[in-house]
Amino acid sequence: MPRLPDPRFDADCTIVFDGQEIPARAGEPIAAALLAAGRPLVARSAKYHRPRGPFCLAGSCHSCLVRVDGQPNVRACRTPCRGGLVVRTQHALPTATHDLLGVIDRVTPGGLDHHHLGTSSVPLNRAMVAFSRRLTGIGKLPDDPLLPPATPREEPFDVLVIGAGPAGLGAAEALAEAGRRVLLADSEPRAGGRLRCRYRLPGEPPPSLAGQVEARVRSAGGEVAIDAPVLGLWLDGGSVLALLHQRAEPGGLRLVRPARVVLCAGGTAVPAGIEDGDRPGVFWGRGLAVALAEHGTVPGRRAAVLGAGDEASELAARLDEAGMVVTLVPAARRVLGRGRVRGLADGSGGELGCDTVAVVQPPAPATELARLLGAPVAFDAMAAAFAVTADRHGRTAVPGLFAAGEVTGAMDAAQAAEAGRRAGEAARG
Amino acid sequence: MGKTLLCACEDVSLEEVRRAFAAGHRDLESVKRYTGFGTGPCQGKSCLALVARELLRLGATPGEIAPFTSRPPGQPTPLAALAALDPATLPAGHQGVPPEAPPRRPGPGALPPLPERADVVIIGGGILGLSLAYELARRGRRDVLVLDQAYLNAGASGRNGGGVRAQWSTSDMVTLALRSLALCRRFAVDLGINVWFRPGGYLFLAPDGAQVARLERNAELHARHGMRTRLLSPEQALEVVPHLDPSRFVAASWNPDDGVVFPWPFLWGYATQAEAMGVKVRTFSRVTGLRRSGDRLTHVETDRGAVACQLVVNAAGAWSKQVAALAGVATPNRPTRHEILVGEPLEPFLDPLVSLLGTGLYFSQSQRGELVGGMGDPDEPEGIVLGSSLRFLARFARASTRLMPRLGGVKVVRQWAGCYDVTPDNNPILGPAGYANFHQLHGFVGHGFMMAPAMAELYADWLTGRGKHELFDRFSLARFARPGAAVGEDFIIG
Repeated sequence: MPRLPDPRFDADCTIVFDGQEIPARAGEPIAAALLAAGRPLVARSAKYHRPRGPFCLAGSCHSCLVRVDGQPNVRACRTPCRGGLVVRTQHALPTATHDLLGVIDRVTPGGLDHHHLGTSSVPLNRAMVAFSRRLTGIGKLPDDPLLPPATPREEPFDVLVIGAGPAGLGAAEALAEAGRRVLLADSEPRAGGRLRCRYRLPGEPPPSLAGQVEARVRSAGGEVAIDAPVLGLWLDGGSVLALLHQRAEPGGLRLVRPARVVLCAGGTAVPAGIEDGDRPGVFWGRGLAVALAEHGTVPGRRAAVLGAGDEASELAARLDEAGMVVTLVPAARRVLGRGRVRGLADGSGGELGCDTVAVVQPPAPATELARLLGAPVAFDAMAAAFAVTADRHGRTAVPGLFAAGEVTGAMDAAQAAEAGRRAGEAARG
Repeated sequence: MGKTLLCACEDVSLEEVRRAFAAGHRDLESVKRYTGFGTGPCQGKSCLALVARELLRLGATPGEIAPFTSRPPGQPTPLAALAALDPATLPAGHQGVPPEAPPRRPGPGALPPLPERADVVIIGGGILGLSLAYELARRGRRDVLVLDQAYLNAGASGRNGGGVRAQWSTSDMVTLALRSLALCRRFAVDLGINVWFRPGGYLFLAPDGAQVARLERNAELHARHGMRTRLLSPEQALEVVPHLDPSRFVAASWNPDDGVVFPWPFLWGYATQAEAMGVKVRTFSRVTGLRRSGDRLTHVETDRGAVACQLVVNAAGAWSKQVAALAGVATPNRPTRHEILVGEPLEPFLDPLVSLLGTGLYFSQSQRGELVGGMGDPDEPEGIVLGSSLRFLARFARASTRLMPRLGGVKVVRQWAGCYDVTPDNNPILGPAGYANFHQLHGFVGHGFMMAPAMAELYADWLTGRGKHELFDRFSLARFARPGAAVGEDFIIG
């Protein structure tokens, strides 16, 4: 069963993947169509040509890069399908599915020491450099020049809230209630952040919260920009200048000059960090939950949910409801299989057969934008994570920069919504 | 046996991180540079915490685990999109992001102590300082201490575009550069570490008659030095780089023997080999004072203690003016920010480094396939500024996509900045200044990296009694007191 049997998810067009027609639903990500077609392997890795496929399903890990309509290194998890879309695998001889260069991985069990390779003689070194250059690069130069979008003009806002998860929704609501003109921006195609997982956790705000907050923000003269990642924060002109890429209509770049910024960017999927944990068929738990809820993606028959706690149990329940045979596995040493997952090993001889692994662990706080402005981050050795340092009201050490939610450390959605609300109140100015 | 990948973008495994730690790279900036983790399309979003956790397991203390510097843009962004920005609305002269933070020193146990005395103290662990230490040690002068305020590669040596060319406008620079090119070809074997020297050539494009005249003058000079520099028509230039817009230039100059390198390993190679001969390299050790007695410097004071010495070499790059000032020596250097960016890795499409004269624009393709490019800004004020601006992205995107339209779809993954150490005549400052034993080795105006291997040989010859090259008289600090004495180098790009 490749997709949940629901007319909302039925294929209504086809895309072409390495010359093969794949049924797809217009508007769903390429990755969703490929997973529904049983094709988790979509790429080869940079150095060892290891089989790779969508992992985070949330635009951050770049494990699913493909060539789409002549443009290289396009994220399959972020690019919507339409009829006739031409998708090609890259960095493989001849295709990612059957890549002769996969031999590099097999003959380097301990990895490549590129610093000392071929340094024994000048002619050898010269030949090695020339040869290795032919193996480098992921994807070819774009076929056509892209045309620049329209030149953006600076747009002033009272507050830029980055991230429309529970924390960002809480902050935006508190600001809009006080009449502040807010731009609430999220890189995902829908608002809600982790609420989109549809986990039924205690205290979790309902998914309808996103719609309510959007209406409130608009009634205060603000705006909600979905599918609009913040590309960066700069200080050109002396104060914070944000550049957004508005992917949805009308599209293009936006230059935003906010008086204050509330960073509620949540966290980024972290790789499994176990042996062969990068195999196609290993997914980030939250990304998979969203794909299941919004695209009906059922990536296989037997799933191992790797992790523990409420989130792991909830994900297991969702996958079970979707018809998969699910096993909760607190820890594993190794992923079995090559072109796609075929099991998990626990390191003491025990093996579990499965074709899907969902990794449930707290995301790494997305501290990048805060660090750009010089906000301190702290390393939590227990959680093994960097998080933005902020007080109870979301204030960071940088004037005008507030942070709330998982970007400041692990917390549940209810706590994040509360923290976001407090930061929004503090950022009213 | 499988692999445990920590950085999936660049295929960096647990074993590679462990090897880096064992080789002395304890902080995340250094481990990033040695292994390549965090340099791919995701820029470390996924892997930073995983690598930090592993360093902790290996023995780093939580206090010394700091994230590497965050760089814009937050997501790979096509040059064509950035070219939509109007640079005229983005004024120059702002500090950029992130604001510079003092280098974070590893825990007390992680750094070996400073010696109480050393024959030679070299201030600055960039390529100039380290190559000099290496060449001194090879000539038997081994009681040498190299001090750097941060990790190796934190300064301009780790921030440049890796170009090595002999196409210069003065005989001095051509001679030095030819020697450096010869050393680059052998470096991996002589120093035991790959620097990925790739002779793809340099292609200079002249947009007008005045620039053509410069190229013609240079080509004659190059011919006298036995170089293979050729002047090309736009049609011939397209054979070298097929995707250029030929309406943007009227002639080109091409030397196929110029090339590009990967800068970071030069420092590791020089440092490792110098240390094997007895040199001490101490990072995270900032010079705070220079103690004097009569006409000599006696001690170098640092934030980790003072070191008595016979000879001090100021090789501090952009910071050399500050270091000279510690001894009361005024130098005319003007450190000036230059910004640069790197794109997504693509299959080979560009062999040479391309530079459009008169604009400051240059770009090349690295061994890993990334577009590497920068562009000088005439409105950039003097100052040690290492933050990144949106203005630079806009200027580079416009200029590069006009010259080579197919770059429009190439995505930028990271931008950063370094400083050129600018002098009034674009030539270096060498030899003693102020004190008989206070040597200067700075003022290389953005080409110190490529000149260092050759420069270090000449300097070490002099300091070990093997003869003093005439360059050292010509490029003394005193020349600025007698104008017109030195011929200015005018072929600065970037």
